[in-house]
Parts: sequence; C-alpha cells; structure tokens
Amino acid sequence: MRKILYLLQKEFKQIFRTREMLIIIFGMPLIQMLLMGFAVTNDIKHVRMIISDQDHSVYSRNLKDAFLHTDRFDIVGLQTDPNQYAQAIQQWKAQVVLIIPQHFYRDLYRLRQPSLQIIADGLDGNTATIAMGYIDAILTQYALQNQAKLNSFVKPQIHLVQSQERMKFNENLNSSQYMVPGIIVILLTVISLMLSSMNIVREKEIGTLEQLLVTPLKKHQLLLGKLIPFLLLGIFEMLMVLLIAQLIFGIHMQGSYPQLALLSLIFLFTTLGTGLLISTVTSTQQQAMFVSWFVMIFMILLSGLFVPIENMPIGMQRITLINPMRYFIFIMRSIFEKGSSITDLWNAIIPMFSLGTLIFITSVFSFQKRIK
Amino acid sequence: MNLNSRVFAVMKKEFIHILNDKMTLMIVIMLPILQLIIFGYALNMEIQHIDMQVIDYDRTISSNSLIDEFSHSSYFHVESNTSFISNIERYLYSGKAKAILIIPKDFSEMLKRDSQISVQLLIDASDPNSANLIKIYCQAVLSKYNIKHGNIYTMPFTVSHSVWYNPDLKSSYFFVPGILAMLLVMISALLTSIAITREKELGTMEQILVSPIRSWEIIIGKVVPYILLAFIDACLVLLVGMLLFHIPFQGSVLDCTILTLLYIITALSLGILISTIAQTQQTALMFALAITLLPTIMLSGFIFPIRSMPLLLQAVSYIVPAKYYLMIIRGIMIKGNSLSELYVQAIFLLVMSVGMLSIAWKRFKTHV
Repeated sequence: MRKILYLLQKEFKQIFRTREMLIIIFGMPLIQMLLMGFAVTNDIKHVRMIISDQDHSVYSRNLKDAFLHTDRFDIVGLQTDPNQYAQAIQQWKAQVVLIIPQHFYRDLYRLRQPSLQIIADGLDGNTATIAMGYIDAILTQYALQNQAKLNSFVKPQIHLVQSQERMKFNENLNSSQYMVPGIIVILLTVISLMLSSMNIVREKEIGTLEQLLVTPLKKHQLLLGKLIPFLLLGIFEMLMVLLIAQLIFGIHMQGSYPQLALLSLIFLFTTLGTGLLISTVTSTQQQAMFVSWFVMIFMILLSGLFVPIENMPIGMQRITLINPMRYFIFIMRSIFEKGSSITDLWNAIIPMFSLGTLIFITSVFSFQKRIK
Repeated sequence: MNLNSRVFAVMKKEFIHILNDKMTLMIVIMLPILQLIIFGYALNMEIQHIDMQVIDYDRTISSNSLIDEFSHSSYFHVESNTSFISNIERYLYSGKAKAILIIPKDFSEMLKRDSQISVQLLIDASDPNSANLIKIYCQAVLSKYNIKHGNIYTMPFTVSHSVWYNPDLKSSYFFVPGILAMLLVMISALLTSIAITREKELGTMEQILVSPIRSWEIIIGKVVPYILLAFIDACLVLLVGMLLFHIPFQGSVLDCTILTLLYIITALSLGILISTIAQTQQTALMFALAITLLPTIMLSGFIFPIRSMPLLLQAVSYIVPAKYYLMIIRGIMIKGNSLSELYVQAIFLLVMSVGMLSIAWKRFKTHV
C-alpha cells in the first residue's frame, strides 16, 4: 500500500510539475465551458434577408415592415434587380430573398392569388429550412391580420385543423439546458482520456519505464499508481464543471447528485481504460495523441451531442452502440432535464457498464503483456 | 545557395522523421478518410421517422384520416392508441415517443361545426432544435390534411420556395467541407506542435543549436514538410467527399489549391507557435488539441451558425482560422466562388500565419 502511495506522489508531482499543466487541467476546461456553453444556440437568429419589393404598394410596404421587428431576420438590402440579389447570395451577403412581384396588390385585389417567392441559400440546410418556416409563419400571420382590409375578396375560412403545441421538459427551448450537460461529458473525457493515454507511453519514450520496472513495485501496484491520479483528477474536473454549469448557466438539475456521481465513476472507467489501452499499444506520445484524438472525435460526433442519433442511417446507429459516450450523454441529459433516476436508465447503464468492463479488462491485459 | 542548403537539411531531417514513424504516417493518412466516411453519413440534421404516439379519443373516420396523414408522411413513425391513458407523459419520460398527438373526443363534430379545431401536440423539447423541427413538420402535415379535405383558409396569396445550390437540402453539402476544415487544422496543428518541443524533451535541440543553422531556417524547415503531408490529406479527403457524397465542385481547382495551402500554413504556424511555448510534448499536444478541437467544431460555423451566437462569441470567432476556411471551401465547392470573392478571408488567414510565425520565431530566438 505504501509503495502505491509513493508512486502516487511521484505521479502527482510529475503532473503538476509545470505551470502549463495546471492551466491545461484547470484553466482550459473553464474557458471552454464558458465559450461553448454560450456558443451552442440552436436558435436561428439574424438571418440576412433581402426584400425585393417590385410592387411598391401600401400592402407590400406593410408586408416589408412585418420583417423589421423581429430578431430572426436582419434586412440587409432592398435590391429589386435579380442579378443584384443573386450576387448577394453568391457572395455570402444574404441568405434569403423575399420577392414581392410587380402588380402584387393589383392581382391580390382581383382575386388572382398572386405568388410571393422565397429564395434561400441551401448551403446550410438546417438554417434554410427553419428560416423558410419563419418566413411562412410571418406571412400567414400578416395575411390573417390584414384580412379585414381584404375582406371583400377573401373566401371565408372553413374548418381549419390546427395544432396546439406544448413543449415538455424545456418549455423555453433553451439550448444550453440541453447542451451543457453534454459539454461536461466532453471536457471530462478530454482530460481523463488524453492524459492517461500519454502517461505510460511517455515513460516509454523518455526511457524511464525501465527504471520503474526494476523497482520492487508489482505490476498491479504500478497500474493502480498510474490510474488513481487520473481518476481523482477526473472527479475533481467533474465537480468543477458542474459548479460552473449551476452558477453561470443556471442549469436546472432535476435528478439526484449521488446517482450522477455513481454513473460518472462508471463512465470514467471507460475513458481511463481506453486511455490506458492506447498508451500500451503506441510507442510515442504523438502516436498516442493521434489515436486518442481519433477515438475522441469518433466518440463526440457519434454521441448524439450535436446531431441526434435517430437522424443517422441505421448502420451508423448500430456503430454508435459501441460508443460509451453515447450512453453517458443520454444519462446526463435525462438526469438533468427529466430528472430520471437509475431505475429509468437501465437501458443505458447496462451497455455502458459492460463496455467499461470490457475495455478495462482488455487494457489491463495488454498492459501486463507489454510490460513483461 | 548556402542558405538554401541549410533549410533543406532541416527539411530532409524532418522528412526522415516522418517516414521513420510509420504508425504516425499511417494514422495521418488513414484517419481523415475514415472520419470523413463515418461523419459524412452520420451527420444529418434532417429528422425522419420521429416516434409519435397518437391518442385518439374520437375514434371516427375523420380522426382516422388525420392519423393516416401522419403515418403516411416520412417524418413520423406513428403508433396509435385508443384506450384511455392515465399518464400520457410517461411516453415522453421513457423516451418511447418524441411527440404525442392528442385528438379530442368530439373532433369529428367540431370538424363539422367550428371554424378552428385544435388538436393537442406534446413535444419532447429536451432537444430544442429537434423540437422546433418536429413542430414545423407537424404543421406541414396538418396543412396538407387541411388542403386535402378542403378545410383550408385560402390565403390571399401563395408562397413559392426555391432553394439554391442545394435544392434537396442535403446535410452532406454542409458537413463534408466542414469536416475537411476540421481535419486539416487539427492534423496540422498536432503535427507541428511537438516539432520543437520534442527536440527539447529528447535533448536533441542542443545539437541543432550548436550547428550553424539560424532560427528562422529551423522554423521554415520544420513547417514545409508538413505542408506537403497535410496537402495530401486535403486532396484525399476532397476526393473521397466528391466520389462518395457527390459533393459538387463548382469553383476553380487553382483557387482551391492556393487557399487550402494558405489554410494549412496557418494551422501549421499555430502548431509551431505552441511548440515554442510548451515545455513538454504532453502539454504541447494538449494545448494544440484544446485550441483546435472544440473551437473548430463550435465557433467556426461548422455546425452552429455564427450569427446566432452572442456578440462576444461572434468576436471570438474571428480568431478561429477554420471560420475563414469554411467559407472558402464551401464557397468554392458549392457556390463556385472565386478568389476575388474570397480575398477578405484569404487576407485574414495570411495575417494570422505571418503573425504567428513571427511570434514563434521571436520566442524561439529568445527562449530556446
């Protein structure tokens, strides 16, 4: 036991030897959390819009005004020449164009049902879909509001089925409520996986591993000494970012903290195990870094953090089943937003635990084999 | 002549390093392609087959035809339930349904009598973006139903939509160029971030310093070989992207090459700068990762539109090189932009590279 303590002492000294490391472990997650927490808004706002009014009537002018008082759209131009607004889209100056055709009001008055045209830059499909949805909504509302003025020539409405939406769990559609728990998982993974993956390989590269091996330390002691520091760091990291989430982002925690802590520990075993595995199979720190980078990007983008897993093709969805982060992000979000308890989450906990055990055992075996 | 040969000597040494470490070389070439393939397929913002639970208290032909309208759309995967349910919300808690449609008891009667009939829609809003899309899809299905059954309120005008560049609104048009931007900056920065630190840590730096090589020659010699490596990566990723995901290439290859090289140089300069600051390889790699991974994913416009962010973050995004390259590569490939339309972005990248390289050179002279 005492031997392990000595080793722990050595590891901690090594970790905190440089000021840079302190910045990486404590400063970076803090800054990233702040940046990312505010950046991830799924709201589409300030879409640059051109209104091309070729009608110049009272009606079209009022229609234009309906777009002025919303932060969804910024009116950036009133070009009427098709070449000009085409160029504006081409040069990234506008994303949508609303075209009010000539004689719009006259045709409206003669019940000819004139057509408005929306042109959207489809490069960012998500933004385009949502922006066009907003425009349609504003137009419909405008038509309804001005019904009185046009009453003489509008058919009466009949039996319209509408939906009354109620948003459950996150009434205000607050993005950070959804994203921050996920970002916590990423920061936790970066620190625990990266640091542990470079640890043993570093001793190999610099040549100090042999010195360690000739000491009277047993293999399992060596292993524990290499893992415990990162486990402790991971736990500390988790506490820190949780605190920020509460204090700065005001994230509501609906579930229980002890359960969260327990599940985080299970998740930490999967990341530490992965780190250890990478560390034993690579031979330079750079290799370790590249491999863990790949593993991390894979884990992050296939975790459902940014893009819901249900949107992926079936084959991809199957691949995500071997991604421990997928389960933990689901667990974090459920606990934070829905207040789910362990009993609700078995579906995610069992695969995460099995994956963790599998990875961990593999890494321990590989460690013992390499170190002989 | 003399000068050239010294730079070339450093370059040659660096090349030998690269070729010696087969594993890193393989990782650098293979991983980007693998990642592109996985993410090109995986990243998809369009939602399909949303699990929807319908609770039909009316149970008439009218309510059935409304349910049919939902089950026939590709957006929803409908399960309907006609028995009385005490706790409807448990469907949302368990995640079995993302949306619940509740058709009231007297739906068919209201349909004959009232001018506006409401059906209730409960949406799991824990993912706000999906919730928004689900709402839009629902409204689309309802208006289709209304039109079909002549329930429509005749709008005095119609609205036609046309989508340019990407008429099918494919996510891959948006994401594949984005993945290229992310891969290039990360590979480049990670590769060079240890270029100098490694020599410090392994103790070979002193050997270089006692040789007649000048500091800027070391910096240049260490950057150039990686330009080639990263450029090979860029070509491979672009090729796979175009073949596999049918991303168009509207612009000029020459413009694309010039600007891609510029972006690679910017990313490599960032790596070199980190390399002159960090003491150990471990910290260098962690710095490089922290500076490139999340900011590139989140602050560059890769996934989240920059204009929707708070102003302060919009300001921060100006120092993320990927922001400029994203506009460049998306512009060239999909919009057919030319260099003359993208010179602002190019200037930003150029200024950044020169700035970072000169700071790296200064630091190298004074600190090493």
